[in-house]
Amino acid sequence: MTTDAHTADQPYLTAKGFCITSGLWLVVATFMGLLGATELIAPDLTENIGWLVFGRIRPIHVNLVLFGFVTPGLLGAAFYYFPRLLRTRIYSDKLGVVTVLLWNLTLVAAVVSLAAGHTQGREYAEMIWPIDMLVVAVFVLVFINLIMTVRQRREPVLYVSVWYVCAAVVLTGATFSLGNVIWQPTSGALVGIPDAILLWFYGHNVFGLLLTPLAAGVAYYVIPRACQSPLYSHTLSLLGFWSLIVVYTHIGTHHLLQVPVPTWLKVISIVDSVAMVIPVMAFLINIWYTARGRLGAIHADIGAKFVFTGTIMYFFVSIQGSMMALPQVQRVTHFNNWVVAHAHVGVLGFAGMIALGGLYYVLPRIAGKPLYSRFLADFQYWMVLIGVVGFTSVLTIAGLVQGHAWLNGETVYRVIPQIHVYYVYRAALGLMIFISAVLGLYNILRTLYFNPGEAR
Amino acid sequence: MKMTPMAVVVGSLMLLAAIVFMVVYMPWATRVEEPSEILRPRSDVEARGRALYIANGCVYCHSQSIRTIDWGLGAERIAQAGDYILDQPILLGSARTGPDLSQEGGEHPDDWHIAHFTNPRYTRTLSIMPAVAYLGQQNLEDLTAYVQGLGLKQADRRMQRQRFWKQEAIRAYEAGPVANVEWLHATVPEGWRNLPNPYPTSEAGLARGHKLYQDFCLGCHGPVGDGMGPAQPYLYPPPLNFTILKDRGISGGILYYQIMNGITGTAMPYFKKELESEKIWDVGNYVAVYFINQSDANTEPRGIDAANEP
Ligand code: HEC
Ligand code: HEC
Ligand code: HEM
Repeated sequence: MTTDAHTADQPYLTAKGFCITSGLWLVVATFMGLLGATELIAPDLTENIGWLVFGRIRPIHVNLVLFGFVTPGLLGAAFYYFPRLLRTRIYSDKLGVVTVLLWNLTLVAAVVSLAAGHTQGREYAEMIWPIDMLVVAVFVLVFINLIMTVRQRREPVLYVSVWYVCAAVVLTGATFSLGNVIWQPTSGALVGIPDAILLWFYGHNVFGLLLTPLAAGVAYYVIPRACQSPLYSHTLSLLGFWSLIVVYTHIGTHHLLQVPVPTWLKVISIVDSVAMVIPVMAFLINIWYTARGRLGAIHADIGAKFVFTGTIMYFFVSIQGSMMALPQVQRVTHFNNWVVAHAHVGVLGFAGMIALGGLYYVLPRIAGKPLYSRFLADFQYWMVLIGVVGFTSVLTIAGLVQGHAWLNGETVYRVIPQIHVYYVYRAALGLMIFISAVLGLYNILRTLYFNPGEAR
Repeated sequence: MKMTPMAVVVGSLMLLAAIVFMVVYMPWATRVEEPSEILRPRSDVEARGRALYIANGCVYCHSQSIRTIDWGLGAERIAQAGDYILDQPILLGSARTGPDLSQEGGEHPDDWHIAHFTNPRYTRTLSIMPAVAYLGQQNLEDLTAYVQGLGLKQADRRMQRQRFWKQEAIRAYEAGPVANVEWLHATVPEGWRNLPNPYPTSEAGLARGHKLYQDFCLGCHGPVGDGMGPAQPYLYPPPLNFTILKDRGISGGILYYQIMNGITGTAMPYFKKELESEKIWDVGNYVAVYFINQSDANTEPRGIDAANEP
């Protein structure tokens, strides 16, 4: 990991654009989440405002978190470290800026169309065909920019972060097109059970082939940098990379264990869900051993602190996920708030934390000035950490209450009042996360613009 | 291993292709194509309702997939692959914030659904489902048609039953209160009719009954039991005004049976899944004491006193 004077004077416009995109949509996405959480406590708060109905707010929240906050955040860091790791300039900042603008346009279109009720009704694949096309276009543009940067590199060796990002962008372009059934523009769906199988193949790959490799790429860059120590093992990098692609792609059907899909497919998904410990631990051991004895350095850098915490969350969510794929466990956990807890540890605790970490690591380096406020960043760190741990606790409890009551023969209606208090806690925690997202956006903007700090 | 751009990009794409072949293409190529015994195509109006179901995100709170371990709504029938072969997209759902709807058709008559969609709190006081009155009357009817078709042929049989008893109930209601009460009670099996409430009225029991009434009955029968709850304008026959039951042969057994079993054809739902035995006696006695002002609690014949009686 060497850098040159040659790379130092870049404007990093694309990275900047993605960072701002991420910070901005984090605010909108968490607001939507907070609104949805509030509607579960006070369902008549937005009575008869069709475009704010829970069933429309929820997909807006989820899509914005995935494609508005986490993915751009992780790409923002990638557009910073690609030129540095490859000792070259980014292929085209002009193309990059166009990509960022198109990305934001896509997100606005997604929000407007989902609020208006234009949806294909498939989780994570809700967006209608024209917007699907925009998403594919954006991924193609990102890929062109990155792969051309790789081609003009002056560093012969490709570092592991580069593998992860290249693979994530290509594979997601492919699985997104497949999962959204883009050759069926009106329905965007297959028919019957195969539709569910394809949907969850794609749905799980949003986490497995997009968020996870992009986040791993950032962790592989930030942690050795912040610790000033070489990566622990090249072999583990290889093992982690290839096993992630092979194993993660097999497990989508663990969302369908209680549905009439072929048994052999369920068996594959369960076995591979347990085998997920291989890519997960290969990555984590590699990162954690790199950081061994240097936690002080990590603590000192707010970006690294976010990233390292994200890796701990990754450990938790993955071990939990492997357990949840066991049919006996899923009898209790399926269909209820347990899964929502898991989703938040994964997307906010792991991928989101690392996205924020990447952001706070690269922003001062792009600006050439220190972060506008370390305090605000630390505040956001604690709010997100408390938020995620709090969500996990209260939603897991709510999920257990629901799951056990149902197994016991109680109706859904009977259990609603029992989980009410947990919904209240959840909304309160959501409010904390939302407030910190607003302060975070302020911090990002002040770091890039109107930054009173000394240039370094 | 030397990681070149080629190795990363082409290698991972080739792996993906092989895996897609196995875990997506193979299940598609070997998919079930025989319809299950309940399958039938959806009518146009049901298809329009289904589009509304998708557009308004009902799928985020309702599954349509009954599992072997289920007890709740629709659990009489476990889902089969052949139930879904016409569904594009399939709407299995991933959360049960609300109940599974696979077999919702015919659980309630249409008027119950219109009241419920207008505002779920009207029929279900504690519901957290969003109101969808903003859709407008025509759309609510389409949505209702879709929901009433869930369960397909099995739902059709239940709907026939609903329609038959709806006619009977309307005829009785329009014949006036006396005839209506007579008809209502004639539908209760003889043994239940002559059965008094075997448990004595107690303060604790009435307090429990009060809570149950608020959580389950208020939206229809109203806070004072006169049938003027917020759902009333949508329901026909309207919710019963309990006060008309006095001196008309009402008994603890009739109350129990009607609450347990519901009155198919009217909006009155069954509560046998929701309320255990003691709760049904309690809410029935609450209605008897406060609204009918006539309770046969603890009168003969009542068998041996239960061990918990004071
Ligand atoms: C926030 C989650 C949520 C959303 C969104 C939602 N529901 Fe519900 N639904 C519930 C809950 C909770 C119940 C149980 C309480 C009740 O009956 O209102 C329920 C009950 C129902 C029932 C009655 C089931 C029965 O027989 O007791 C029907 C029918 C229904 N919903 C249809 C719909 C339709 C159609 C939509 C979309 C317009 C929808 N729901 C959207 C949560 C939701
Ligand atoms: C969705 C509206 C609705 C709800 C909720 C509801 N009811 Fe009813 N109830 C009705 C209607 C409608 C009738 C029948 C009216 C008719 O046919 O004249 C009825 C009839 C009855 C009867 C029949 C009386 C008789 O003498 O045969 C009893 C008893 C009763 N309700 C009790 C209850 C109780 C107790 C609850 C709560 C646990 C409850 N209802 C909840 C709508 C409702
Ligand atoms: C070893 C790794 C993992 C395994 C085996 C695993 C397993 C599972 C299982 C079995 C479910 C379905 C639960 C159910 O419906 O009953 C699930 C849901 C989910 N997982 Fe994971 N998980 C893993 C890691 C992750 C990670 C890293 C993320 C995020 C980046 C994540 C995000 C989610 C989300 C968002 C859902 C909810 C899907 C829905 O909408 O229903 N998971 N996971």
